[in-house]
Amino acid sequence: MRDGYVLGLIPETWRFEVTQFPWVRRLLKSRWMPLALILFNVFLFTVILMAGFFGGLTSPGNYNFGIMIVWILWWVLLMTVLVPVFSRFWCTMCPLPFLGEWLQRLRLFSVRYERGRNLYFGLNKRWPKSLSNMWLMNILFLVTTFASGFFTVRPAATFVLLAAIIALSVVLSLIYRARTFCLYVCPVSGFQGLYSNFALMEVRVKDPEICARHKTKGCVVGNERGYGCPWLLLPYAFRRNTYCGMCFECLKTCEYDNMAVNVRPPGVDLLVDEKRGLDEAYKALIMLGIAVVFFVTFQGPWGTLKDWANAATLSGYLAFIGLHASWNLVVLPAIFLFFVWWARRAARQAVPLKKVYVNFSYATVPLGLAAWIAFSLGIILPNGSYLLHVLSDPFAWGWDLFGTAHFPWTPVLTGIMPYLMILTLLVGVLFSIDIALKIARQTFIEPEAAVRGALPILGFLGAMTFGLMWLFVG
Amino acid sequence: MRGQEIVAVSLAVLATVGTIAAALWYDHRRDAGREVVELLAIQPKNGNWQPNEIRLERGRPVRLKIRNVETVSHGFALPDFGIGIAEIKPGEVHVVDFTPDRTGVFPFYCTVWCSNEHMAMAGRVIVTESVARASSGR
Repeated sequence: MRDGYVLGLIPETWRFEVTQFPWVRRLLKSRWMPLALILFNVFLFTVILMAGFFGGLTSPGNYNFGIMIVWILWWVLLMTVLVPVFSRFWCTMCPLPFLGEWLQRLRLFSVRYERGRNLYFGLNKRWPKSLSNMWLMNILFLVTTFASGFFTVRPAATFVLLAAIIALSVVLSLIYRARTFCLYVCPVSGFQGLYSNFALMEVRVKDPEICARHKTKGCVVGNERGYGCPWLLLPYAFRRNTYCGMCFECLKTCEYDNMAVNVRPPGVDLLVDEKRGLDEAYKALIMLGIAVVFFVTFQGPWGTLKDWANAATLSGYLAFIGLHASWNLVVLPAIFLFFVWWARRAARQAVPLKKVYVNFSYATVPLGLAAWIAFSLGIILPNGSYLLHVLSDPFAWGWDLFGTAHFPWTPVLTGIMPYLMILTLLVGVLFSIDIALKIARQTFIEPEAAVRGALPILGFLGAMTFGLMWLFVG
Repeated sequence: MRGQEIVAVSLAVLATVGTIAAALWYDHRRDAGREVVELLAIQPKNGNWQPNEIRLERGRPVRLKIRNVETVSHGFALPDFGIGIAEIKPGEVHVVDFTPDRTGVFPFYCTVWCSNEHMAMAGRVIVTESVARASSGR
């Protein structure tokens, strides 16, 4: 692979600025963006919450608007399009922190700004430094997946989950400043952040020289046109997508129009050797591990596992939690540790094991994302037709708004689905290999040591790919 | 700015409270002028039709909302009024509108072999001239 090129084809530095078009810049600088998108999603989530509330504990999930829209449409869109293409664009329009942010700002549209700073309601405390990382999100996401068997079949479970997230975001918004909830607590924020490093879009500074000369830094402290970065970042120093919620406030506040939205080659942020950490390494492995568990449990041929996840018996459910947690927190990280130890030994370089472990974990991101996309294909292609039903009868009250309430179950492309899954995995592992080779050079410096050190990691990636392929078609 | 803030807040209220109110109003309006009976399709070992006895008044329009709350398919037939639904899939709701034009006791059945006790999955509609229309469970 050529240095400085993604897959040896596209220069890593290649960018296409979308905001060079005046209408795009105008749109993103308008205060209706992203408010209009959020309001639409507030409407959608109101319907989802109603469907969950009225759907109860017993209704099968297949005809419930809440379950279908959240777990069939939203989840699949998130994994297949929103994150890999648009980075954290879901965070741009997410309705879950809407109430909390409204309370903080006491405004929906306009900006509260007096005496050189934005005004906020609430205590505006700083989040504890020890929790300013992905560990809490890692645990919360994993714990949430313990109940995945309920969320997809019991409307009330989806209602409780979403209501709890909204309530928690409101409480934390009143105590902590800005989007602390989204940054450090929201269960779906962590993986979006990590996987957004692979995304094709980014918000970045156009000319760093302008920022260096500019003293007031409206993008950080805010001004009358917008709020200081709600994600508590320094937009002028962005180098990775991880924590950028793409709210576009920095485009509004920048006095020099020096912020841009760019299209870029995939995966370039995974090579940025800055603020890497064990929390993100664990996130990468947990996501890969959960993709395996979900496929085995919900799409595999082992009905017993599905019964365990659905809590058919208490002992089965406890076994599911035990196996699921052990695999993700201990077994898979330990397997990866073995390969990392082997890589370090093969490279014969005195690089700390933790650094090698953390660095190479980013190489698993494309494969993990591909595994989730493949899993998503297994959800949407067989079950997508249910969406037509719930659009016509969202609350299962016998409505038929669009004449599709009794649209028959119609699987799409399921005959070639395993091949599509394999193709997705192969594309993912190709990117993973590319990233692994480059990270090996970053980590071990000396070219020959890098090649020796990369081989065991390629072995890990290959083994995981073959394992997943066996699950898909075996 | 102030005008746009009012528009934004109005849209937020419309998206939340407005949506809930509109859904409830639409459903109420849709059923207006009819006796609405919600009928749960449940196999006999889990409780059978609920309610399995429906009391109606002759001449008063009725809307049956038949909801399958199980994970097996059911069907529905009320032969004396020429009503039949070939299949009600798990989670599905079928709506049947009719006006009982005669008094008497009329059986209804599940028409899909849903379990070993399928033959016992039956209930009855009692149509009277009186105004007492309380529906009773099992």
